Amino acid sequence: MMGCAVARSRFSITRLPGFGLIAILTFVMLYLPIVILVAFSFNEGISQSRWEGFSLQWYQAAFNNSQVRDVSLRSLWLAVTAASFATILATLAALGTTRVGRFPGQTMIYALINQPLMVPEIVTGIALLIFVAAIKVQTGYTGMGYLVAAHTAFCIPFAYLPIRARLETLDHALEAAAADLYASPIQAFRYITLPLMVPGILAGFMLGFVISLDTVVITEFVKSAGQDTLPTYMLGQLRRSVTPEMNAIATLFLALSLMIVTAFFFITRTRGR
Amino acid sequence: MSQEIEITGLNKSFGQGAAAFHALRAIDLTIATGEFFTLLGPSGCGKTTLLRIIAGFEEPSTGVLRINGKDVTGLGPDKRPINTVFQSYALFPHMSVAQNIGFGLKMLGKPKSEIKATVAEMLQLVRMEAMADRLPSEISGGQQQRVALARALAPRPRVLLLDEPLSALDLKLRKEMQSELKRLQTETGITFVFVTHDQEEALTMSDRIAVMSAGEILQLGPPQEIYNAPVNRFVADFIGDTNFLRLRLRVKAVAAGEAVLELPGGKQASARLPASISPPVGSLVTAVIRPEQAEPTPAGQGEMQAVVASATFFGTDTHLHLLLDDAQGFVLRRQNRPDQPSPAPGTKLGLTFAPGALRVLED
Repeated sequence: MMGCAVARSRFSITRLPGFGLIAILTFVMLYLPIVILVAFSFNEGISQSRWEGFSLQWYQAAFNNSQVRDVSLRSLWLAVTAASFATILATLAALGTTRVGRFPGQTMIYALINQPLMVPEIVTGIALLIFVAAIKVQTGYTGMGYLVAAHTAFCIPFAYLPIRARLETLDHALEAAAADLYASPIQAFRYITLPLMVPGILAGFMLGFVISLDTVVITEFVKSAGQDTLPTYMLGQLRRSVTPEMNAIATLFLALSLMIVTAFFFITRTRGR
Repeated sequence: MSQEIEITGLNKSFGQGAAAFHALRAIDLTIATGEFFTLLGPSGCGKTTLLRIIAGFEEPSTGVLRINGKDVTGLGPDKRPINTVFQSYALFPHMSVAQNIGFGLKMLGKPKSEIKATVAEMLQLVRMEAMADRLPSEISGGQQQRVALARALAPRPRVLLLDEPLSALDLKLRKEMQSELKRLQTETGITFVFVTHDQEEALTMSDRIAVMSAGEILQLGPPQEIYNAPVNRFVADFIGDTNFLRLRLRVKAVAAGEAVLELPGGKQASARLPASISPPVGSLVTAVIRPEQAEPTPAGQGEMQAVVASATFFGTDTHLHLLLDDAQGFVLRRQNRPDQPSPAPGTKLGLTFAPGALRVLED
């Protein structure tokens, strides 16, 4: 009875006037534009505002568009490559910042790793543009290496955070127990630390993948001619005309992101126990 | 009996210079093969640090540690024939009970058939056969405790270290595990080094106890000796309940190790006087007597007179809180019997005690 009385008298934000209205408006702003975008990807006509009947023609158009195929594959390849490198580096960074005891400058290093979370993306983009241009002039190399490097660096903190979070919840006594049971440091890592890190590593990879797939600014400033990714290609198309083909591509893009985020959720929930 | 663990001149400090914290000071200790040895003390006394040094998780600042005659100072935990049962159990959450138990043998490179046989044997030893394929998260705390024990015993270590392994269990399970531990130790013949802050646990299970405080071993001996003949006030206070009395020393050294004290009310009684201390005659000394070592007598009889202030019921016995003639407090433990109700507050009674129950202590 006492517990109930305390709970009832506690401040509750849900009882403020307008709470329900603000909540509904927020969700409408978040999801209604996306719902409309998806809906009109199935429109029979070319209009973005008048429904003319159901059709898959824009999906067909998108699939038949060789440019869309090319930039999609490039985006996927770039995301997988950058997320892989970023995950490896982030794993090493997480081990270095959680498994070696305190060292001077630890907080500093933590902040440095997380640069992309703090520096505005446009600043990073311009900086990269100038930096990459200088290297291009010096070396003449204009391949995908620049994009891979830029995306990797940009994805590291997103991969680092879940891996570090996972490591921080790992009891140091587990590694001590492995050593006590005659495991060499490498065996303790191989049989205990690494398997227990896997959920964090997978989560880190997926976050990195989604971030790389999504970023426009970094790509726009770093890419050379003919290196459009799906987001920069779409941006370019939108400047000319908005056809429901873009809606169809965006919808597919959304579906892929949703699948990855769902997988991320299940992995961290079931394996993270 | 051969010496399993030999520690000489061991010191451990953390930090440098004036800020250094001395966790262990001048520890000399030998533990015999097959002994159930307990490190007992309050938290922060250095017992866990000593255990971690024996296990190899910490290096001593100075001193030598020998196991079975071999100097292991500087060897890592994976190179010592010692296994540990951790306070948190530290079971590997992604491995089944059987895989946990077999881990040590796997790391030692034993053949699969041998691992399988030993795991089966260990499961039987801790009565967990039915749980072999469960994950640690799928078994109870008491069962996890058994698995942690089996995992540490499986590689047949020379020494098993136990770091407060029973502290997370509830009272009933703890009692069960106490006798279980004692059984396992007797059956396997492995030397057990047990760390606890629970004096009752230490008294019931150990062959010998080292009572520690502030990084030093204050007293080392069998449980009876620690309980009956504590060397100083700290040990007397930490182990069991005890009455501390300020009494005047009347005669010193009647016989070897004996003295006469003046009790409240004026009577004199003989008390044991350790050879290590020598207070002047006529001075006030601290003397101790256990609550169960005094007996009530009718008022006017016995060595001291007292008034009952209050009584606390404990089921098997009652603690009577008494006031002596000179207003010093005294706790008397009296076994409960249905035909003898405990005296009401205000009741006057006398107290008597066996010769030797009273001991003078170093302050």
